[in-house]
Amino acid sequence: MKSKTSRRDFLSAGLILPVVGAGSSLGLMNLSAQTPAGSTGSARSANSPVKLSYKTLGKTGLKVTSVGMGCMITSDPSVVTRAADLGITYFDTARGYQHGNNERMVGAALGGKRKQVVLSTKTEARDKAGMAKEMDTSLSELKTDFVDVWYLHGKSSPSEIHDDMIEALQLAKQQGKARFVGISTHSNQQTLIPWMVQKGVFDVVLSAFNFSMDPAVEQAIDVAAKTGMGVVAMKVMAGGSRNQKLTQPGALLAALKWVTNHPSVATTIPSMTDMDQLDENLKAMAGPLTADDHKILAAHLEQIQPLYCRLCGKCDGACAQGLPVADVLRFLTYADGYGEFALGRERYLQMASEHVSARCGDCVECTVQCPYGVEVPKRMARAQELFA
Amino acid sequence: MRIVHLALVPFLLAAGTARAQDFLSCQLAPGWTQSEVVHSYTADNLYDYKDGGAEGYLIYGFAGMKSLNCKSGDDTLTIDVSEMSDADAAYGIFATNRDPRLPIARIGMGGQVQPQSASFAKGKYYVEIVVNSANPNMIHTAELQALVDKMARRIEGRETPPEALAWFPQENLTSAGLVPESVLGLKELKRGYVAKYKLGQAFIVLEDSPESAVAVLKNLRARFDGATDAKVGGEAFQVKAQYLDGICIFRKGRTLGGYANLPTPQEAAAQAAKLAARIP
Repeated sequence: MKSKTSRRDFLSAGLILPVVGAGSSLGLMNLSAQTPAGSTGSARSANSPVKLSYKTLGKTGLKVTSVGMGCMITSDPSVVTRAADLGITYFDTARGYQHGNNERMVGAALGGKRKQVVLSTKTEARDKAGMAKEMDTSLSELKTDFVDVWYLHGKSSPSEIHDDMIEALQLAKQQGKARFVGISTHSNQQTLIPWMVQKGVFDVVLSAFNFSMDPAVEQAIDVAAKTGMGVVAMKVMAGGSRNQKLTQPGALLAALKWVTNHPSVATTIPSMTDMDQLDENLKAMAGPLTADDHKILAAHLEQIQPLYCRLCGKCDGACAQGLPVADVLRFLTYADGYGEFALGRERYLQMASEHVSARCGDCVECTVQCPYGVEVPKRMARAQELFA
Repeated sequence: MRIVHLALVPFLLAAGTARAQDFLSCQLAPGWTQSEVVHSYTADNLYDYKDGGAEGYLIYGFAGMKSLNCKSGDDTLTIDVSEMSDADAAYGIFATNRDPRLPIARIGMGGQVQPQSASFAKGKYYVEIVVNSANPNMIHTAELQALVDKMARRIEGRETPPEALAWFPQENLTSAGLVPESVLGLKELKRGYVAKYKLGQAFIVLEDSPESAVAVLKNLRARFDGATDAKVGGEAFQVKAQYLDGICIFRKGRTLGGYANLPTPQEAAAQAAKLAARIP
């Protein structure tokens, strides 16, 4: 396990990570060979050879391409079909996506290739009966007898996961409707994932994970992978938040490569809406994270560092005036980052009155030291100037 | 801290239009009472509520959402009102999320009411209502219909679907909506209307000018090996492609349109000609 600061130092130094984790392998696929006999036209973007890299999804033993496909916002089934034809082996959807229409589209798009790929879906139901009903609906819509991975959808705390939900997961496995089960999570992974490991009944975790996140998330993921839990990464191209998009040429691919080259991550599920995104994302499997990739990502981190609060919680209780620093920075992000001044202000004003009236200028020296370089006194003072 | 009281939140509705409390109220549903304060979400924290499904809102120009929970005994009624970038986008997300096996009702620009859920779009607002009942077999259709009718009357904005949807030939049409990016999975066709038929699909993309439409058509043609001219609209090509089967794409003024997934390019061109004739 790496130290919390080593990865960031490593990134900043522009060093190169291992190509892929142990047990990975490369396959070569000539995309031009995909044009079927009799067809006279093909997408020109598909006329280049692409290397596919494979990893094993933890103890499930499932072999997956290190780049999978998140189907959530894909509107045209041809993109899913082509991804399967090109050799992508991991496809992710959910019962709730597009109110069920997404599962139907994915099922139709995969068609006869269903059993050649690893297919995952998710349930938002919160009780045993509801989960069983959703599973049956998912199988029907996906036109399959089983899913490879069935997730509890979007959990952020162990308190959200009840025993009967775990029973429903296990029952689905016993019935052969789900080969493996897991949880998808967007937040609080540093608490949830260790709990999953300790619980011992989950095969896979689908977690938001990217180069700009709190190292505590990475530590949790590393521990999970070492215990044999399969790790699937999502939100891999986020760069802090919505307004901190990766805009530099090559940045999206670099961010994807950062995750596909991570030794604890088996596969990723970037969203893809068109053939060109598909081709671009496939490139992430073609080679290692380069020094240039590191530079691009390090530059982005450098750019967002003074502004971007990672909500790591390390400043909790550190303010001499007792201010909830992370909350205030979040409210400021609403105004500065998203143009939602009114929302930021109203949330600021909902704080305890002593916090609303506090002024950073009253302190000679700030007692809060952000480990990621957020300029806390300056940002807090701006929030007080804007909202108070 | 994510919970905000309704009265304190002016961002969802622009000045001069109906106020949120005029239509986001449990009082519109007799027998239901508000159980929590109204929750507000922006693009920043929609993941907290919709998990991965948030992307499906963001891609349609999501601006904000208010969520209201009402209670009646052990049952809960959740009303989510999303503000999208424009009326077309609101209709687009409605059309994407609706059940294509059921008809569209005349509620705002369009809506659907089912036994335990309802949705509709009006103006730039997209409304979703779900009943979580202790008895999952309970039928709530009538009260949901009454609720959406009251809400739709109070929400200001356009009441007709996007004009371009009427240009699609109606015979054998199964569904139609707005694709926010990459129509047919092609990045050149950035945002457009797509109609699904029992066989094949049609699309319409409105470019800013005839010149930009010319450029897009040229780029599209370069994408496909073996494309040949077709006599549709101002200019057109047809081709047999691996994933789109028989396809024909034409330009008429600043509008691009076409058919795909038909058995042959010739059939696609024939259907495309019918579509072109309906475009003003």
